Amino acid sequence: MEGWVIAIIKVVFIWVWVLLIATVMTWVERRGAAMMQDRLGPNRAGPFGLFQPLADGIKLFTKEEVLPKKAHKVLWNLGPLLFALPAFSAYAVVPFGDKIILGGKEIILQVSDVNIGFLYVLAIGSLAVYGIVLGGWGSNNKFSILGGLRSTAQLISYEVPLGLALLAVVFVYGSFSLRDIALAQQGTFLGFLPNWGVFKQPLGFILYMVAIYAEANRVPFDLPEAESEIVAGYHTEYGSMELGLYLFGEYVNLVTLSTLVVVLYFGAWHIPYIDISKFLGPVSWGIVSFLILYLKVAFFLWLFVWVRWTIPRFRYDQVMGLGWKALIPLALFNLFITALFIQLSA
Amino acid sequence: MARPVVKKKYTLGERIYLLEILKGMALTWKHFVFNVKASFRPGPHTVPTCWQYPEDRTREISPVYRGLHMLCLDEKGREKCIACGTCAKTCPAHCITVKKGKRKEGEEDKYAGKMYCASFDIDLLHCIFCGLCQEACPKEAIVLGREFELAQYTREECHLDKQKLLANYRKAKEEGKLRPPRKAVPVVPAPPKPEVKGASSKATEVKKGQVEVKKATKKAKNAEKAKSGD
Amino acid sequence: MNQDPVSQVDQERLGELVTINIGPSHPAMHGTLRVITVTDGETIVKAEPEIGYLHRGVEKLGENLTYHQFIPITDRLNYCSAIPNNVSYEMAVEKLMGIEVPEKAQLIRVIMMELARIADHEVCVGILGVDLGAFTPFFYLIIQREEIYEIFEWYNGARLTNTFGRIGGVDADLPDDFEERWRELKPNLRKANEETEKLLTHNRIWMDRTIGVSAFSPEDALNWGFTGPCLRACGVKRDLRKDEPYCMYDQFDFNIPVGEHGDVFDRYKVRMIEMEESIKIIDQAYKLYKEMPADAPLKARVPKVIKPPAGEVYSALESPNGELGFFVRSDGSDKAYRIRIRPPCYMIYQAFNDLVKGGMVADLIACISSLNVVAGELDR
Repeated sequence: MEGWVIAIIKVVFIWVWVLLIATVMTWVERRGAAMMQDRLGPNRAGPFGLFQPLADGIKLFTKEEVLPKKAHKVLWNLGPLLFALPAFSAYAVVPFGDKIILGGKEIILQVSDVNIGFLYVLAIGSLAVYGIVLGGWGSNNKFSILGGLRSTAQLISYEVPLGLALLAVVFVYGSFSLRDIALAQQGTFLGFLPNWGVFKQPLGFILYMVAIYAEANRVPFDLPEAESEIVAGYHTEYGSMELGLYLFGEYVNLVTLSTLVVVLYFGAWHIPYIDISKFLGPVSWGIVSFLILYLKVAFFLWLFVWVRWTIPRFRYDQVMGLGWKALIPLALFNLFITALFIQLSA
Repeated sequence: MARPVVKKKYTLGERIYLLEILKGMALTWKHFVFNVKASFRPGPHTVPTCWQYPEDRTREISPVYRGLHMLCLDEKGREKCIACGTCAKTCPAHCITVKKGKRKEGEEDKYAGKMYCASFDIDLLHCIFCGLCQEACPKEAIVLGREFELAQYTREECHLDKQKLLANYRKAKEEGKLRPPRKAVPVVPAPPKPEVKGASSKATEVKKGQVEVKKATKKAKNAEKAKSGD
Repeated sequence: MNQDPVSQVDQERLGELVTINIGPSHPAMHGTLRVITVTDGETIVKAEPEIGYLHRGVEKLGENLTYHQFIPITDRLNYCSAIPNNVSYEMAVEKLMGIEVPEKAQLIRVIMMELARIADHEVCVGILGVDLGAFTPFFYLIIQREEIYEIFEWYNGARLTNTFGRIGGVDADLPDDFEERWRELKPNLRKANEETEKLLTHNRIWMDRTIGVSAFSPEDALNWGFTGPCLRACGVKRDLRKDEPYCMYDQFDFNIPVGEHGDVFDRYKVRMIEMEESIKIIDQAYKLYKEMPADAPLKARVPKVIKPPAGEVYSALESPNGELGFFVRSDGSDKAYRIRIRPPCYMIYQAFNDLVKGGMVADLIACISSLNVVAGELDR
């Protein structure tokens, strides 16, 4: 009885929390870009323009929905849903804090600690491509189809290095459960290095970072929606909240992927050399661990923005070349080295 | 028509992507920090390149800016315009219409010249703000002012008549935004006289000759016509 | 003439090809250009540019306006840099009338034209960045362009459509604060260029996107009638400022940057270096200007109503895009009998199919930005 109540509370909480981050992200993206480009950015709605995402949301909700002539109605409507849903549901297995003890009951800050959480994330992550392809196909627009095709090829190619990089992490920590991996990153190894994934898997970390930029369709891999080439790619024809779902799903995706980076490579809620949980009560530690985790996530979210406004975008064939000729061999090499180390040290 | 094939040569630093990307990120970060600091400064015009326009009107506009037209009055408050129509003739967009009026007895304190413009209309929807009219004006009567907010709701409002033009002048005078008096562009001095005389007289001679010939042919033609008519 | 481009390519492959209509309203098309591309996947089989979406009958207007009235119309040709257009037209009429423009006026023209060149190149390089996904350098450059426009505004009151100069000279002297403004602007211009180079030039993504893309051989470029930075990027050292000096350009010391392959990267580099050279020219011109007496004439003696003797003339100058020429034919009246404009990007845009064939859609965008095709100039 109580179990599922807690589960629902957790689901609602993390859903609202992720939505909140994604909303704030749209603001950060625009203000951050403006500040890098010697501009001011949106600063009219509310203090510092903080209500701008809200205004945009209202606008998107109240706009008229336009279905292009000869568009495939079912696919057209399915596209945005299929894009946004996986982004949210991937969060089901991602931990958002250590644990909290309320009324003598231990609650882990994770919707569900599945022992194959890893595979679940990968599987759900690759579902998002259907949203893009269906949206691109259903729009009955050549630019949309091009965007959808680009996206398919790109996501499929980059899923391989992503998976291989993650596999190396599994080798190191010996578990498929994201919570187990997070817990295993406490303490130090070799005497001085924190037990974080980034120090145990430096190459894997770089590969993973590159791959998630491609997975999230961000610059330099934003070809599916490269506005100067194919107008807006797969969401050229979309408007109103269907477009909103695409844009929102993208930001939710960013949050999910950034959280995964932190959980897998940046020690989740651990701070190097200090074990704060000893100094804090069970409730406050739960909250503090949550905050530490999201502070780290905030950095990676900012990194997305920062990189986006610094570098140009790839060309389609260069993306493929980078993926297949550089990242996949490197990922295999990384896997091989990791396996060798583990074998030798065992 | 074979297009040349270019072989790319990269240094190691360029080849591994990350180094140059990090350099670029350092640059954007520098701008970011600078602008964030600037945006927390008090005052309207914080980030150096951005004017918060409708509220912040501190940007200085050039005194010779070519904005809204006005019809000037002289020191005694008389209309300078003498309705010569040069502006209307010069205008590339043909947006000026001037109607003449003759100054009557007792109107000397109203109009500076013997003629004045009974009506003076400018169609702002046609005007291209080239400033040729103010340059052509012999009396510096029509002038383009510093007012640049020209958007209107209706077509009628975009039609400037004489009253509006005078009102524009009065408004500009009140705000101290009158255009400074025109600086004459120094022109190459005239070449020594004898040469000019010789050249011009020759030209006139030729012209006269042509005219005479023309007249003669006309007469002949007329005569022929008269004959055939008979 | 206006056949379906699909029917012009290999009939056997018809089923595999897709016609994509890029433009006239497309985010990357500058103004209202339209390219009908036939693509095989993303590879371009054929790209047929279609022009005329911004045709305003400028040449016909020239026949119905007096010689002075046509100057403001020339502003609207290449709206990125109106001043070289004005000067080119004025030079044509002056040549027709045999007017010698005073030296001081020529210096003012040089200063203003070089400022306009910097502004034009800044827009071109910035937009090239935007089209390739690098948004930030655009703003660093465009802010400096605003400062240049400020100088224009204080010169004769307009920022974009300057109506600069008159037949026989210029319409005003340089403003008093020009020196101060230029002194302030110069380091900022250099800094903006440096920052752009830092963000782009050695970035491998940028290099991959630009090096070798739409490379062109010098022979082809000459045959197609390329001029300006696009020709110089191919390795041909041709610059009207050096080859057929006008406006005292022979008295200035400046280099002509030359590329190697004529690809997008070389065009970008040539433009970046040209901006630096323009700064040098302005410095020298201003020094000469300072040496002139304050009341030196700025305008030749010209009759109020300009009636050039009957005859025809072609006069060209090196505009930021290349050779910008005006052909004026007069019948002795106060209006030109015929005016014909030779816009540089018309000749360059002809070769568009050859430039982009075999590349990808993304290359087409990079190519069109690097050519700096301005629809106002192209369609007239």
